[in-house]
Amino acid sequence: MAIVAGQIAFYYLAGASIASAILAVTRRNPVHSMLWVLALFLHVAGIFLLVGAEFLAAVQIIVYAGAILVFYLFFLMLLDLPREEAGPPFGAHWPLCAAAGLLFVALAWRAQGPGLVPAVPRAAAGGPPPGSLSAVGMVLFSQFALPFEIASLVLLAAIVGAVVVAKRKTDS
Amino acid sequence: MVPVGACLGLSAVLFGIGLIGFLGRRNIILMLVSVEIMLNAVNVSLAAFSQHLQDPRGQIMALFVIAVAAAEAAVGLGLVLALSRNRPGVSVEDLTQLRW
Repeated sequence: MAIVAGQIAFYYLAGASIASAILAVTRRNPVHSMLWVLALFLHVAGIFLLVGAEFLAAVQIIVYAGAILVFYLFFLMLLDLPREEAGPPFGAHWPLCAAAGLLFVALAWRAQGPGLVPAVPRAAAGGPPPGSLSAVGMVLFSQFALPFEIASLVLLAAIVGAVVVAKRKTDS
Repeated sequence: MVPVGACLGLSAVLFGIGLIGFLGRRNIILMLVSVEIMLNAVNVSLAAFSQHLQDPRGQIMALFVIAVAAAEAAVGLGLVLALSRNRPGVSVEDLTQLRW
């Protein structure tokens, strides 16, 4: 019963995320696009919950939906684009783009089947389950401690770089 | 228990939609958002593999992807701001000069 409910939830979340991604890419109004991307991120967080990645789901909602997307929305309102809805949303070369995207999906769909190793059975009791927050934290701060610190350096460089790039040039 | 193949199919479809948006949209901000959709699609497949192989390292890779996505958003939007100072509007079809 729980397995069936999980599968129904997965197919709902998958369908809703594909629909909101298509709407996000095709809407003419950029703010509407952003709101559909928000719906997409929330549904993807639900999928993370279903595959047992609770911490990733929380980070997805807090960082992606809460910080990055709000940043994009603020930026869109800062630029103030009143004429954006008048023009076509896609360039004249859109059939080529659609063909490239569909070709990618077809190739990825074909390639994923054969190479898949069989699922590893869940380990017997003893120790936290591999997807849980404590297991992720243990690996993140032991084996991946150096990449974790490097990620903070990357973020610092991005902050400084964004300020330098966006700074108004002063004549002096 | 979600089958890993279904997750990978969903990931491929989301990545393709993001690819179409990145290549086709005229608005440069929505091109950046399409990149975020593609990064999110990759995160879905990383989380699915993490469950499939019972290994938390997939989730950690997805965390790093999220950190890089945040950095990319900051730098990309800074560049768009610098561009729009020189030339109003965010349509990539207007950006035909290397410098002005």
